[in-house]
Amino acid sequence: MERLTDIITLVGAETVRAIAGLIGVLIIVVINAILLTWAERKVAGHMQRRIGPKEVGPYGLIQPFADTIKLLGKELLVPKDVAKPLYHLAPILIFIPVLVSFIVIPFDTHLQVKDITMGILVILAFSSLSVFSILIAGWGSQNKYSLIGAVRSVAQNIAYEIPLLLSLLAIVFMTNSFSLKTIVEAQKGTWFVFYQPIAFLIFFIAGVAETNRTPFDLPEAESELVAGFHTEYSGMRFALFFLAEYTNIFIVSAIATTFFLGGYSGPVLPGIIWFFLKTYALVFVILWFRWTFPRVRFDQLLNFSWKILIPLSFINLLVTGGILKL
Amino acid sequence: MVRKTIEEITKALQGAEVAEVPYGEKGYHIGVSIDTTNLVHAAELFDRKGFYLEDLLCVDYVDYLELVYFFNTYQTLCRVKVSLKLEPDNAIAPTISHIYTIAHWYEREIHEFFGVFFEGHPHLTYLFLHDGIEFYPLRKNKVPVSDEAKRLLNSFRPEEEEDTFSVNLGPQHPSTHGVLRVVLKMDGEYIVQADPVLGYLHRMQEKMGENRTYNQFLPNPARIDYPGALLLNLAHVAAVEKLCGIEVPERAQYIRTITCELNRIASHLLWLGAFPADLGALTPFLYAFDDREHILDILEAITGSRLTYCYFRFGGLYNDVDDTFVEGTKRFIKRMRERLVMYEKFITKNVIFINRVTGIGILKPEVARKYGCTGPTIRGSGIPYDIRKVEPYAAYNRIDFRIPKGETGDCMDRYLVRIAEMEICLNIIEQAIENLPSGPYKTDKVPKKLKPPQGDIFHAVESSRGEAGVYIVSDGSDVPYRMRWRVPSYSNLMTFPYLSQGLLIADAIAVLGSYDIVVPEIDR
Repeated sequence: MERLTDIITLVGAETVRAIAGLIGVLIIVVINAILLTWAERKVAGHMQRRIGPKEVGPYGLIQPFADTIKLLGKELLVPKDVAKPLYHLAPILIFIPVLVSFIVIPFDTHLQVKDITMGILVILAFSSLSVFSILIAGWGSQNKYSLIGAVRSVAQNIAYEIPLLLSLLAIVFMTNSFSLKTIVEAQKGTWFVFYQPIAFLIFFIAGVAETNRTPFDLPEAESELVAGFHTEYSGMRFALFFLAEYTNIFIVSAIATTFFLGGYSGPVLPGIIWFFLKTYALVFVILWFRWTFPRVRFDQLLNFSWKILIPLSFINLLVTGGILKL
Repeated sequence: MVRKTIEEITKALQGAEVAEVPYGEKGYHIGVSIDTTNLVHAAELFDRKGFYLEDLLCVDYVDYLELVYFFNTYQTLCRVKVSLKLEPDNAIAPTISHIYTIAHWYEREIHEFFGVFFEGHPHLTYLFLHDGIEFYPLRKNKVPVSDEAKRLLNSFRPEEEEDTFSVNLGPQHPSTHGVLRVVLKMDGEYIVQADPVLGYLHRMQEKMGENRTYNQFLPNPARIDYPGALLLNLAHVAAVEKLCGIEVPERAQYIRTITCELNRIASHLLWLGAFPADLGALTPFLYAFDDREHILDILEAITGSRLTYCYFRFGGLYNDVDDTFVEGTKRFIKRMRERLVMYEKFITKNVIFINRVTGIGILKPEVARKYGCTGPTIRGSGIPYDIRKVEPYAAYNRIDFRIPKGETGDCMDRYLVRIAEMEICLNIIEQAIENLPSGPYKTDKVPKKLKPPQGDIFHAVESSRGEAGVYIVSDGSDVPYRMRWRVPSYSNLMTFPYLSQGLLIADAIAVLGSYDIVVPEIDR
């Protein structure tokens, strides 16, 4: 014990906190990915009148491990003409913005890597970075389908970043704080979803679009672009894109929970359980979308954002500001 | 109608031999024999009169080649066979592709199979075959392909211009339903030009028809159109029966009707799964397959197979149906009616789905006629043309049913027509089961070795995709001299280059899905 304290004083409490945070975040990412691969197959199965995986482990719970082993065993094919540095970089790069977002999310009253006063800005700034890695993957693959997917992704991200930001800004107006913890504390009485239902809807729709999930899965539209930006990726590289997608779903749901559904606050049960319950309820809704809706068309997607979501979020912001001023 | 057409043809075409032929024996009403100088006039005449080019084929009689053009109308049945003779060594005919657009592809097909040169055709390149053929495959004698012809056949190269790039949609692509390849010239996400490249599943079924006896060919139609196997099985069987003058017992006719309609629903269900999947919704696929499974079970019990059925025989059926079949079919009808209501709720009323398919790929009736479209594709464009109604076969003339039709001819209309058709199929089955007569299920008078008399016959049925017809030339032996398949997907698909021009790639996929194409049928 004494030696542990020594080490902490030696390297500094902040460093230890950072390392512990990183490990914690990685654990969450991995567990989430395992859970979501399983859940997606199970949800899809039950929605399609079948039962999904059931052979590997109880209720097919070990299925994700079997999948991982299979993917690890695959040969890492590198097509001949790819731009090598970019092609190799993209699957790794797609992870960094995702991981950074975890820093500011409060899982419980004291369970947070770091409460930054500019928490929202960190999330928004880094989430818009993920589009770069998609662009790099599409560009580096030297495949026309990949390129179209990447270009779509850029246009889509620009269009949906704005309503995403504006809807969160309404909450900032109400709490006068950029810190996620303060925002959660402000919802001890009533969740913000009841004050800001429109902002919640806008955020959720834009969030689904940000994660490239159906009905907004245009960058990887299977029936049009084969697999979009990750057409040329196989084996574990392909799995990394999927891992990032699942982590993104979690992040979007977690932010929605924090901002609109009271975060970790809730009666009886400990905060962390409330947090994960709410988050995974939203994750389920996103999975539900995927197995219910067809895909929108590209121009419809952009029109929906520029002509409906953005004006609506501006009006919402104005009304919020007006009411607060009174 | 027939009289009037004969008069008009006689008046307009000098030197043409026009004769009315017994429809019951030949399957067409008028036989016209002309020479090459009159061909374009004839095509123009039929175009003015609102005929569509039903089929264009060639027969090699060794002494001469015969080009056969079938024209038909969408209103009243009046099938005209226009034939002209060509010299086998120097076969040149004028093109009619500027009048009937579909002739574009038919002429390319004849050029590569028979070596007939079509004057004025923009590009007589390979359609089904690939580089490396040495002999014209459908000629009776070994006729080598000259170097000059090879150069012409090989001249297809997709060109890239500035600001455009070409994308190969297929042959391995999730949305081309098999192995169709379309070379797309794109400007960003917009399609400038689409060029279907066929032949990845070409098996030369027509040549197979020429070296198998009539009985041996029975399983083959199921390989031409696999989701609608029974319907093509019936086309083949009924054509040969007509050629030989075999009477089919009433019970067999009714059972043929029931099984064909069941097969049609199964085929439409396959499409109902695939079409939303093209638009990104994967769940309907599993729902449709769930329903389809019930039909497969019913048909498996009587035919012995689940997909590539071969159930009809010359003069009847392979075996009789029993009460289990009748009960199972009744149960299925009840179930399917409820499911159709569900599909309506889940797919037809889905806002995203409606926005994706409404107003996309509008096929005007006039354009559809130039391409010879049939089936739900033409019915979606507002022409209620259905072979079951205009040229009843099996027991369809004893059954009361309506033909659904669309208004604008967009993807939504084609979708709605097929959905309505499934409901109508259920009504047809219900009526046929109620009136199912007792009696023998096949005639005993059919000889083991079938030798039809000399002559030719065209017989068409309404397959789930449109008019599927077979043209058989018999020389009196037990093997057909020539067997030609007229398939609906062929002419339907060829409207794709026209419809996809200027569309987004996502819309083009929707259009492609709305045809319900079956690639083995196109490639044969």
